[in-house]
Parts: sequence; structure tokens; C-alpha cells
Amino acid sequence: MPPLAQSVKRDTIAQKMPAIARRRRVTGGAFGTHGFPLALWQLAVAITVLGAVEFADGLQAQTGPWWVLLLFAAVGVEYGLAGILAWSRRPSNGIGALLCLGGLTLLGADLQNTGPPALVAAGLILGQAPIAVILHILLAFPSGRLRGRRDRALVLAGYLVTIAIEPPQYLFTHVSGPGGVLQVANQPDLIEIDRWIQRGLGAMIIVATAFVLASRLRRATPLQRRVLALLYSYGIAAILFLELAVNVLGPLFDWGPITVFVLQISALAGIPVAFVLGVFRGDFARTAEIDELGTWLGARDGARPALREALAQTLGDDSVELLFWLPERDRYVDAGGQAAELPEGRSGRAAVEIELGGSLVGAIAYDAVLIVEPELVRAAGRVIALALERERLTAELLASHDALLESRARIVEATDRERRRIARDLHDGLQAQLVLLAVKVGQIAPVPADAEVRAGLAELRAGLEGASDELRRLVQGVMPALLIERGLFAAAEDLVDRMPVPTRLHLTNLDGALPQSVESAGFFVIAEALTNAVKHSRANELAVSLERVDGRLMIEVRDDGVGGARVGGGTGLRGIADRVDVLGGRLLVESPPGEGTRLHAEVPCAS
Amino acid sequence: MRVVIGEDEALLREGLVHLLEKAGIEVLGVAEDAPGLIELARAREPELVITDIRMPPGHTDDGLRAALEIRAQRPSTPIVILSQYVHRSYAVELLADDSAGVGYLLKQRVANGEVFCRDLRRVAHGGTVLDPEVVTVMLARARRDRDAIEQLTPRQAEVLALLAEGRSNAAIARRLVISEKAVVQHVSRIYDQLGLAPSEDDHRRVLAVARYLAR
Repeated sequence: MPPLAQSVKRDTIAQKMPAIARRRRVTGGAFGTHGFPLALWQLAVAITVLGAVEFADGLQAQTGPWWVLLLFAAVGVEYGLAGILAWSRRPSNGIGALLCLGGLTLLGADLQNTGPPALVAAGLILGQAPIAVILHILLAFPSGRLRGRRDRALVLAGYLVTIAIEPPQYLFTHVSGPGGVLQVANQPDLIEIDRWIQRGLGAMIIVATAFVLASRLRRATPLQRRVLALLYSYGIAAILFLELAVNVLGPLFDWGPITVFVLQISALAGIPVAFVLGVFRGDFARTAEIDELGTWLGARDGARPALREALAQTLGDDSVELLFWLPERDRYVDAGGQAAELPEGRSGRAAVEIELGGSLVGAIAYDAVLIVEPELVRAAGRVIALALERERLTAELLASHDALLESRARIVEATDRERRRIARDLHDGLQAQLVLLAVKVGQIAPVPADAEVRAGLAELRAGLEGASDELRRLVQGVMPALLIERGLFAAAEDLVDRMPVPTRLHLTNLDGALPQSVESAGFFVIAEALTNAVKHSRANELAVSLERVDGRLMIEVRDDGVGGARVGGGTGLRGIADRVDVLGGRLLVESPPGEGTRLHAEVPCAS
Repeated sequence: MRVVIGEDEALLREGLVHLLEKAGIEVLGVAEDAPGLIELARAREPELVITDIRMPPGHTDDGLRAALEIRAQRPSTPIVILSQYVHRSYAVELLADDSAGVGYLLKQRVANGEVFCRDLRRVAHGGTVLDPEVVTVMLARARRDRDAIEQLTPRQAEVLALLAEGRSNAAIARRLVISEKAVVQHVSRIYDQLGLAPSEDDHRRVLAVARYLAR
């Protein structure tokens, strides 16, 4: 930052800095302790007071126009307060702390505009440091922590270039008076050489940073990418602008030093806003702390939200998933009991496994971009291990329930297949043989003249015909021919045709074939419901309707009989309920006494 | 009379051929599946096609569809459909076809060779023969939906059923043990009641009744 002028004022910063640094270490490690918000209050007040004092001192020393002084101090305070806001909402996220650091370095640079030579000297030393902090924030976003050696090296290089290579600028300055407080010699050549070294190294760091950020963008999920791309490009542009505004754009557009400064400070002012919004992305809930997780665990069952939600709030990652380990199946399942896998290495997600008493109980899968340190998740995992074990048992129960349903569906399917096979075998074999036998009997009939033989043959023929009828009825009961030949709707039509009580049939939206299991179940439901109605309801009229709505088959059977039917009442409704249940459908029976019965079954039928 | 047969069950196929040949009906050829039957009918131009409804390759209603295909290629080829089961919907499909000469019978009717062969001849000459079982279903349904049938006397209803099966006046008279003249009177009353146009042609009269019921 270019010095505006110079002046005098008091200390206060030096005393605050160690306290802040200590606090940062505590929260950076895992989680803070209680009373943390009070420390943040103190920090907020301190930063605001520091800004106000610098402004007041600058005014008194008349180091620049009042509004420029106000702007400089205000942006420093803005960084600090934005950082504190993020810090309080997301204690586990380091961006808040980094923004505070940015605010302090800005206010530090602003010391150039105060009166006391010692403070001006400090301001000169910290003059370029805010740029390094912004670079640091960029590389640490969104978790606030640096990933790997490359990132750390880049950030360190940033601080070195802005602080360690800066001294020639104030040691060999031509400026006399307060701005030249650290001058040892007037050496414009050395300043020029140093400036070019600084620019060269700075450019290399920026290019390397842009490269790192770009590769990070490529790996991000589409949702993350939108936010990250915006923040990254803004950050890089702001850093470039700080330098270009002075040396390229200023001369080009004939900007005065004040204009350049206002433009620079405006570019900087947007950064805290953008990054705090980025940290809060989508979720403004206050992040709880691990201690509170413990309190949550102690809460009564009804009062506590799901374990996952509590964990998501604690970690500040809404995408947190709980996986439960089923040892006998040697695999993970989710909370619903469905099979699940641990996230892959390159998916932007990671997982830590949770053990209880030496055996694996589950895992926490989380957003690896948002949470860099697995230790944080592991700590949370240790706290919830016992609760996880309990939920694991629930998930295990759900999984075995699903397995039971599946095996039941398989049994019903196998039964249907077997019925179809039996029907086909009887049809092709026995029935054909009976017809053939009858034909043969018919052919020998005319030959003998004996009345007794003729009567015997007639009886035989009638007997064969009766056996044929009987077999037909039997096969029809096992698996109706029309159901095999033309499907459910034709079979329903045939069923209704043969009802002894007037029955209306209403078919809607029947396009496309239904899965065989649905056809069989549907037919069974209709046949059973109609049989019930005829047997028990004393109805004068029945109605059947079949409709396909959004991948579901709706079956309705109504009668105007005596009502009072109920599932489990020994009227065959139990069998219907079972059939519907196996296919994951639902059954509704309304049967108020004296007002008829309405049976409504819904079965998923997306084939 | 020259016929072709579609039947996939070998024993039954042979039994059928034997039965027909004994009755003096010439069997031009037999087919074991639906495509074979279509090909056979095209090649031999029979006076009647007899087919099982459930046949390879689909083992559903392939026989029926083959018969309808044959009729589409050579209109008014008489067809007789045999099935283990009879359904109203199949009868409706068969009768929806404009031309006459349709039979739809339970397979077990083959056992009574005499009646069966007479039915085949009726169909070959443009008549309509429906199995009593399917007529019963059609009648029950029609009775529910149409007052005109509800108002028929029990005797008229009996005559109507036999008419729809495709029986001649003489056959109806024999069955009900009444005079042929009485049958003619019943038939004309039924025609009035149902609002059907009178017709001298026996076959057309039956077809009109069957179509009325299948409606």
C-alpha cells in the first residue's frame, strides 16, 4: 500500500496481537473452548478502536484528505469484522481468522498515515503485507487451511516477497521527513532493482497460484465450481489490480495518486464480503462445537434431531453422510439400510472410519474441499461413536428388513413362474390328452349296435367331457389363460364377464406392458376382491376400475353391499394385503357397515 | 370340403386329421406354428382354416392372429378357432370382421365328431358358430346392459342363445322340442324386440344376432 503521508499516534496493536495469535492456534487445532464468543467481542472492539484511533490520528496529523483516511481505516475494520462474523459462525473454518489477520495487516499498513515515527516505520514494514494475506486466503479457501507443501510454500513465498524483499524500498528511499523515517541512504537504483525483483517473483507466485486454483476448480463439483471460480478470479484480479493500478493503468488513464488509491482500496473492500459469503455458502446455521454434540447426545430421544444433522452442523458441512458397517455382510449401508460405498479418492469427498471398543461401527463421509483435516472429523466421530453404534443397529435392522422383503418378492415371483409352468403343462399335456381320448371314444361309438355298449360309451364320453371341464376350471384357477395370452386388462374383462352379479369395468390409460409380477398380483387382487364381494357383501352391483398413473397401477373394487369388511377378518383381504405388500404397494379398505366396501390397491409398475 | 389345420400338439393334430378324413373332409395340410399356417393357407387356398388359438412361436394368441392375417390376405376365407378356453373378447374380435364364416369353439367340442363336422361345414358355407359357453357369457352381459334383452321371455332367450351359437331353425326346434314354425315365430319376435333388420338368409340372421350380443 502506498503511504498517504505521515503522522503520529499510540500503540494498542502490539498488545492485542499475541492474544489473537494464541486464540487462532486454539481454534485452528480442533475446536475452541467455551467463552470463545467473548474473546471475539473483545477482538471486534479492539479492531474497531484501532481503526478509529488511526483515523483520528491521521486527521490530526493531516496526512491526507479526511475521507481517504476514513476509507483506509474503514476497510481495515471491515476485514476484521467480516472475519469475526465468519469466525463466530464457523469456528472450525479458518477463513474468519485469516480475514482478521488481513484486517490487522491493513490497519498495520495504515500506520504509515499516523504521526509517531515508530508507528510510521511499522506501517512501512507492513505496507505490502495485505497482498500476501489475500493470497493466503485464496489458497486456503474454503476451509481456511492450507493443503500440502506446495500451498504452504506459495503462501510463505508471498509473505517473503511482500515483507522480506520490501526493506530496500524504505531503506534507500528518496523521501525525507516522516515517510523516510527508516532511510539509511538515497539509492534510487537499488530501489528500482528491488522493485523489479519483487515484481518478477510476485508474478511467478501469482501465476503458480492461478495454476493451483485452476486445477482445484477442475476437481470441484459443478456446484462448488460456480462459487470457487467467482472467488478465485476476483481474488487474483484484485491482487493484479493493486500493482497494475499504480504502474500501468494510472499512467495510461492519467489517474492521480488519490484516484489510484481509491480504486485499490475499493478492490480490496469487496474481498471480505465475497469470501464470508463463500464460507457461509448455502447454510447460515451456526456451527456447533464438539462439546455441544455431547449435550445433544444426552438429550431425550424425542427432542433431538437426527445424528447426521447434528454432525453436519458441528462440522459445518451439510453434505456429511453417516455410513454403518455391517460385519456379517462385510459392507457399509446408509441410514436407510441400502448398500453404500466409501467415497473414492478423487471424488472431492473423503471418509474417516469410526471404531467403538476396537471394532468398526461406521464411517463419516464428508466434503474434502470444505474440511481438510480428517482429524477434525475423527474427533467428532469419537464423540458420536456410541450413538453411531445405536443407529448402526437400526440400519442393520432396516437392511435385513429389506432383504426379507426381497426374498418374499422372489418367493412370490417363483410361485407365479411355477403356476405359469403348471398351467402350460396341464394345457399342453393333460387337457390335450383328454380331448384326444374323447375323440377316440367318439370314433368307436357308431360301430357296436349293442344298446348297453352305446350307453356305456355315451357315459364315458360325458365323463371325459366332465373331466375336461374340471381340468379347465382347475388350470384357470392356477393361472388364467387370458392373463398369459393377453395380459391383465383382458383377463380382468373376462373375469368381469363371468361374474354372477352385475359388474362394471372401467379401464383407463392402459398403454404399454406391465411387469409379469404386477399382472399376476393385479389379477389376484381383483379376483379375490370380487370373490369376497360375491360371497360376503350381498351386493347388487360391483365395479372394478384399473388405472395407470405415474408408474403406479391403481386397482379399485367397489360394491354396494353390507360393508364391515376388514383386513384379517378372515375374508381373504389378508391375502390381498400380502400380495400388494410384496410389490411395495399399499392397500386401503373402506367398509363402513351398511355402506358397501371400497378396496383400493396401488402397486408400482414402472417396467 | 378342403381344409388346412394349425395345431402344435402332435397327437391332437393326428386325431383331428383322422376324424376329419373319416367324415369325408379333405385335409390339404397341417401346420405346427402360426407362420407355417399362414404359408400353408396361401399355398393351398383351402375352403376352411381350422386352428388352435395358442400356438408357437408366441404360445399366446398366435393362432387367432394367423387366422385374421389369412382373412386379410384372402378375404372371406372361413376360419374356425379352437381353444381350451373361450373368451368374449376373442369372439368380439372375430365378429368385428366384416365377412361371414367364423367359428369359435372349445377344443373339447371335437369329441362329438358328428356335431363338430356339421359345425365346420356351416362355417365353410359362410355360417357363424359360437361355443355355447361364450354365448352364455355374451348373453349375460348383454342382459345386464340392454333392456331389450331383459324383456325377452325365458323361451325367447333360449332361442336367442341357440341362434347366436349358429343353430338352424330345424336344429333349434329339435333341441327345444317345439315345431319349426314356433321357432320362426320366436325368431321374428326376437328380431322385433332387438330392432334388427329381418333377413331371409339363415347365416346373415345368425351373424346379426351374434354381432348384436357382442356389441
